[in-house]
Amino acid sequence: MPRFVRPFLVVLVLVCTLLPEARADAVKRIRVEGELIDTWCYVTEIMYARGSAHFQCAVWCAVGGIPVSVRADDGTLYVVLRVEDDSQNVSNPAMIRIQSHRVTVDGDMIERDGVKYLLVTQVADDKGIVDLTHEKFGIQPWGM
Amino acid sequence: MGRFRSLAVAVVLCLSAASPSFAAQKWGIDGEMVAQFEAKVVDLLCELRGDCPKACGGGKRQLGLVRDDGTLLLAVKSNTLFAGATLDLLPYCGQRVEVDGLIISHPAMVIYMLQRLRKPGATEWIRATAFAEDWKQRNKTEDAKRWFRRDGMANDVIGTFGKVGRPDIVPPPPVQ
Repeated sequence: MPRFVRPFLVVLVLVCTLLPEARADAVKRIRVEGELIDTWCYVTEIMYARGSAHFQCAVWCAVGGIPVSVRADDGTLYVVLRVEDDSQNVSNPAMIRIQSHRVTVDGDMIERDGVKYLLVTQVADDKGIVDLTHEKFGIQPWGM
Repeated sequence: MGRFRSLAVAVVLCLSAASPSFAAQKWGIDGEMVAQFEAKVVDLLCELRGDCPKACGGGKRQLGLVRDDGTLLLAVKSNTLFAGATLDLLPYCGQRVEVDGLIISHPAMVIYMLQRLRKPGATEWIRATAFAEDWKQRNKTEDAKRWFRRDGMANDVIGTFGKVGRPDIVPPPPVQ
């Protein structure tokens, strides 16, 4: 084997080893239909975190800077990091006003370490709040 | 020999748990785990897409923690009610920080709740209540108790759409 081949092979092996790490941040174009939810309350399940019952709480959490996610119908969560050209993802006034809405969005999804992040390129539809959970669960939190 | 090893591990874990260095409070949440570690503070959009404004966006961007093994953790919540951890982590943008809090594993995702933090090597911990401090300054008031009921933006949205988000629906008062 020529002398220069061995270092070349070592570099090749290293590159191949590191490639899966790079693929973890690959971007996938997707369309998601689901509800805008407050990530903290939904993940911790400390109160009923869906629909009209949770609107008030979701507004407080969004104002407080807790990440907003889209919950797809199959339970998958997508953390919203950008909406079209707007990259303010902490206390974004436009996002605060549509908490608990059922939306259809197109975007670029990046999955890393068990979290799916979504960069919304287009809000295709907004049906408003259609899941009237307050009829069963009251107003979250504390019923008032 | 195996028994002795298990016993030793159990003793070490018990001592670690009793030590003041593990002071994060549990919330009784399914999948929670007390987690104190050092990590690098990153702007998520910068880390994931290379979109990197100055100073991690100055408080307008969600921040995360990159651990030494390269794992990215989404910092979702601070020690202030209904508030995220961005303002607590912001002073450490691009730097290492030692954090103490809860890792919460849910089938949908893994998140981090920040309870306190400090510069590596510092002796004093800082409680993760930067949102409350900032809210007091912005609202020129001395306390942030029940800030969510007194916040102008929150009250504007809830005043416009109602507590259930639908102005056409007025829910009955709660049963006492």
